[in-house]
Amino acid sequence: MPTWGFRMSEVTFFIEVALSGLMAGVMYSLVALGFVLIFKASGIFNFAQGVMALFAALTLVGFMEKFGMPAWLAIIGTIAVMIALAWLIEKLMLRHLVNQEPIILFMATIGLAYVLEGIGDIVWGSDVKVLDIGIPQGASDYMLDNFNIYIEKLEIFAAATAGILVVFLAIFFQKTRIGRALRAVADDHQAALSVGISLRTIWVIVWSVSGIVALVAGIMWGSKSGVQFSLSLIALKALPVLILGGFTSVPGAIIGGMIIGVGEKVAEVYLGPFVGGAIENWFAYMLALAFLLFRPQGLFGERIIERV
Amino acid sequence: MSERTFGDTILAVKNISLSFGVMKVLDNISFDIKQGEIRSIIGPNGAGKSSMLNVINGFYHPQEGSITFKGETRKRMAPHAAASHGIARTFQNIALFKGMSTLDNIMTGRNLKMKTNIFWQALHIGPARREELENREAAERIIDFLDIQAIRKKPVGKLPYGLQKRVELGRALAAEPELLLLDEPMAGMNSEEKEDMSRFIIDVNDEFGTTIALIEHDMGVVMDLSDRVVVLDYGKQLADGLPDEVRSNQAVIDAYLGVPHE
Amino acid sequence: MTNLLNDNTLDTFPKLLLKHASQRSNHDAIREKDLGIWQSWSWAEAAAEVRALACGLASLGLKRGDKLAIVGDNRPRLYWGMTAAQSLGAIPVPLYQDSVADEMAYVLDNADVKIALGEDQEQVDKVLEIKQRCPQIEHIIFDDIRGLRDYDQAFLHNYETLQQTGRDFDQQHPDFYQQEVDAGSGEDIAIMLYTSGTTGKPKGVVLTNDNCVITARNGIIREGLTADEEVLAYLPMAWVGDNLFSYAQSYVAGFCVSCPENGATVANDLREIGPSYYFAPPRIYENMLTQVMIRMEDAAAIKRRVFRFFMDHAAKVGVKILNGESVSLKDSLLYKLGNILVYGPLKDVLGLRRTKLAYTAGEAIGPEIFDFYRSLGINIKQLYGQTECMVFICVQPDGEVFADTVGTPAIDVEIDIDDNGEILYRSPGVFHSYYKNPESTASTKNEDGWVLTGDAGYFDEKNGHLKIIDRAKDVGKLNDGTMFAPKYIENKLKFFSFVKEAVLFGNERDYSTAFINIDLDAVGNWAERNNLAYSGYIDLAAQPEIYQLVKDCVDKVNADLAKDSRLGKSQIHRFLILHKELDADDGELTRTRKVRRKFVAERYETLVDALYSGIDECHVKTEVTFEDGRTGMLEADVKISNAECYPLESSTQEAAA
Ligand SMILES: Nc1ncnc2c1ncn2[C@@H]1O[C@H](COP(=O)(O)OP(=O)(O)O)[C@@H](O)[C@H]1O
Ligand SMILES: [Mg+2]
Repeated sequence: MPTWGFRMSEVTFFIEVALSGLMAGVMYSLVALGFVLIFKASGIFNFAQGVMALFAALTLVGFMEKFGMPAWLAIIGTIAVMIALAWLIEKLMLRHLVNQEPIILFMATIGLAYVLEGIGDIVWGSDVKVLDIGIPQGASDYMLDNFNIYIEKLEIFAAATAGILVVFLAIFFQKTRIGRALRAVADDHQAALSVGISLRTIWVIVWSVSGIVALVAGIMWGSKSGVQFSLSLIALKALPVLILGGFTSVPGAIIGGMIIGVGEKVAEVYLGPFVGGAIENWFAYMLALAFLLFRPQGLFGERIIERV
Repeated sequence: MSERTFGDTILAVKNISLSFGVMKVLDNISFDIKQGEIRSIIGPNGAGKSSMLNVINGFYHPQEGSITFKGETRKRMAPHAAASHGIARTFQNIALFKGMSTLDNIMTGRNLKMKTNIFWQALHIGPARREELENREAAERIIDFLDIQAIRKKPVGKLPYGLQKRVELGRALAAEPELLLLDEPMAGMNSEEKEDMSRFIIDVNDEFGTTIALIEHDMGVVMDLSDRVVVLDYGKQLADGLPDEVRSNQAVIDAYLGVPHE
Repeated sequence: MTNLLNDNTLDTFPKLLLKHASQRSNHDAIREKDLGIWQSWSWAEAAAEVRALACGLASLGLKRGDKLAIVGDNRPRLYWGMTAAQSLGAIPVPLYQDSVADEMAYVLDNADVKIALGEDQEQVDKVLEIKQRCPQIEHIIFDDIRGLRDYDQAFLHNYETLQQTGRDFDQQHPDFYQQEVDAGSGEDIAIMLYTSGTTGKPKGVVLTNDNCVITARNGIIREGLTADEEVLAYLPMAWVGDNLFSYAQSYVAGFCVSCPENGATVANDLREIGPSYYFAPPRIYENMLTQVMIRMEDAAAIKRRVFRFFMDHAAKVGVKILNGESVSLKDSLLYKLGNILVYGPLKDVLGLRRTKLAYTAGEAIGPEIFDFYRSLGINIKQLYGQTECMVFICVQPDGEVFADTVGTPAIDVEIDIDDNGEILYRSPGVFHSYYKNPESTASTKNEDGWVLTGDAGYFDEKNGHLKIIDRAKDVGKLNDGTMFAPKYIENKLKFFSFVKEAVLFGNERDYSTAFINIDLDAVGNWAERNNLAYSGYIDLAAQPEIYQLVKDCVDKVNADLAKDSRLGKSQIHRFLILHKELDADDGELTRTRKVRRKFVAERYETLVDALYSGIDECHVKTEVTFEDGRTGMLEADVKISNAECYPLESSTQEAAA
């Protein structure tokens, strides 16, 4: 890779590296976002978030391949499936675990991850699938011609989609009744109940929303690298993102994801040669560790206030 | 001022018994609350007062007895049913949405007044937007009523205690309840704050005709505000009647008023 | 707007209102924040409101010369109450909304109030209580019905209902209102404002329309104010300043006035309105500055550094830039950058970003506070005024603003200084009389219309500005015959944060001396930072390091006095730090925390004697009252320190010549 070095100026090279990290970053952000939503509303650390992305992508491909649906219909169908899934999760799992220890709930989501993986496997098969819903592919000629920077159209598209999704969620959370109800539940269950907020409805909504966010993540990643099991592994990268951005902060999840995505790519290219490469595999965790030491509440997380 | 008159019974609890394991927290409690009344529940700490409110708004489910609210008799209440039928409450230990602003807390209190579905909400247009504005106005009226304009946009977690209690009352009022349950709304307040809070309680009762069930330790306040008082002592119902009757009731004096309490 | 300013037929407020309503009907006249939203009324709408109310008041029997009391926070409806009364030739009497029933009773009774307009239940309850003692009060009108629904007295009226009655009345007598307005003239009484005064009962200052309208107009002309000003009406309606800035000048210039949501939201409302024309007493400027400093203490280190850097730069060149003096290109550019990064955002937070003119008055303002605002580019100026002349006596001209003077005479104001150093003035604003108090009127205003201010002062030779030094009755003489103005010097001392109180002696003495009370917070903080251990006030007050600290302050004041040709001789030769804090419970301060000089001098006679003898330490025993009411004895050895005295600047020049 460093052999490219002489072909372009140092600056454009750097930008290119950073941008290529951005795609992965957007991915991390989306998965982390799903985590944050569920964690905020129910205090559950959802281990299955990554698998949900895989499951959503598998379902989408399945709808398109097996039933020959057009992309838009398949997406609507998948959204319906994700909502149904949220409803089932509430009905079969959450409802029975009210007031349990967080660790029990966490274990339950591990179980959920295996169940979803299994179902995906059985219903749609375990082979690597190509996902093409018509997102433009290839390099952006515009960027190449004007700035001499190589960047995939898909990456631009992914970043834009993530941006829109975040703005949309921010408005939803801040300005609507249901958004307020979500925050209310996150703050105080009893008080939320007393004003007539139904916890179950809220849970179905947050799990649905994270399901949809997972679908978006699944589409992006699947379009780039095909739908395969490794998709569920990006969930592992979401943990450092959360530590960086704070477990309860939506903007934190987004920016944390970008920082890690870009950071690990830049580190790989510039520092990799000196330490024998593969920085990408551990960089995120190092960064998270540093944060744990210096700013445990994360970039945007609420300061942890000791209650007396 | 004119003689206070009340409507029909809005709430009646009958033979309520509630236990946690072997501990009997409420033992065969029966009383009623009339429309427009300010009804106090008093008793020493641990008497079961808060538990009684929790039974009324459905947080606790009694093993025995029945609750009749607005003519409908149930064995137990559910929180959602209580809220949607017009029962709102505050908590002994403030239970606000701490990360949210005063305005948002009060808007959340209007949760059940807002009906547009998630689709419109998500788009934040059309009916959802109109509804949001209407309810914003209602919330502003409460802010004005409680004189908390200056903290409208402040996160409530950072407010002083007395103001938090006021915001909590605001959130309960936002639901336009028919029955308002107040669990020690003046606990920990100084006398000036207590006076303000008493004023608000009277005004709520006066202006909106809201029926109020009040738990309070300050006997001065209780005697001033209440139309009738029910006295609990370790789960047992000691007395029920007009403030003066209760005050001169020997059993009450012995069990409660006579012994020093904090 | 110039045509309105020159139109001498517009000599009453109702006439001005009607003029705006016809000429500028759609421009905003007044605004109020209600239910979280700014509601505004155009001049035409305001005129209609006033008309309905005036007719309602007329149907209640309010006639020419009757008094209408107005009490409550700044509200459009209460301001309209003023104009409605004035339309009928009746006289509005605004009262302080926080006065207790007893204080209010005196004014309501003294002013022969016939109808009272109160904002809400709180005010109505007070008036109801008073009504039993003051039977001449015939009706009470309330704006906010909350809590008043159960009141069924026939003499209680809802504002809105009364306006409806007024509209019906208006329909039956369509010419009535215009006739009443036309009947008003400049010589008619416009308003009565009660001043508390330092002693005795409040006096009702009777002001005519001419007093108010001409003075308001002169102020507008001098400062070049326009109909586009934004003003926040947040100071009590009973205070002459509010009547001038939020009422008289608004009606004359035609600018819009905004009423805050309530007392607690003023800071926020200020930010939202962003007034272009603003008045605040020194205390408020001081509080705002303190808030800023506290917030900066909590800010991140980088932010603090940037803030410090640019504030230092502003301190260096900001005032010069504001005064239109030239500064180097680099300084000017750096100031512009600072404006983007610091000054602008800061002014935004304070609500003063758009402020073209900010006045302060009432008491001396600390020079650092004054300079802080000016260095940010806020044109804050001092004025000198009184209720007795509808405010304006002196105003600082743009570009000639000094912390220790109050500027030059306002338009049409003549100033004289009598042999005792007391300031006299004559102006179109000079009041008609004190209500039902001819003796006071005569002793304050002579036949030629000159008014005694009760303040001592002189014109500074350097710049021709008036300098106020003290209340005239407090000014004395040193034995060499030069003027001794204790309060002026005490204030200079108190501007130092370490000095909480100061009491000066020197009248009929050879030189002046001082008692100092240190500020326990500020000095304690300093002591902690300098690792100085102390166990309490007495201990701290006796430490030599603290004496040195205070001596530096005294020396600086002396250096300053040395520049003053009249007061240079009053430099403080010796001082001591009192062993206890002056306390109202011990009778040393008034309840409003003013030093009772004579009492203190008698109580601590031994210490005063010691200041005028050669000794440098003195043992005292003092009886004190503790917080729980018990009394006890306090004993201490109080040290006496000499201060640096400087040669007088003018005399050194003479010596050199
Ligand atoms: N959820 C609960 N689980 C177990 N015990 C409870 C619970 N809630 C209340 N209690 C017990 O019930 C008794 C009455 O409590 P409470 O109703 O809070 O009294 P009060 O409000 O009169 O002070 C106390 O002994 C309390 O410990
Ligand atoms: Mg309790």
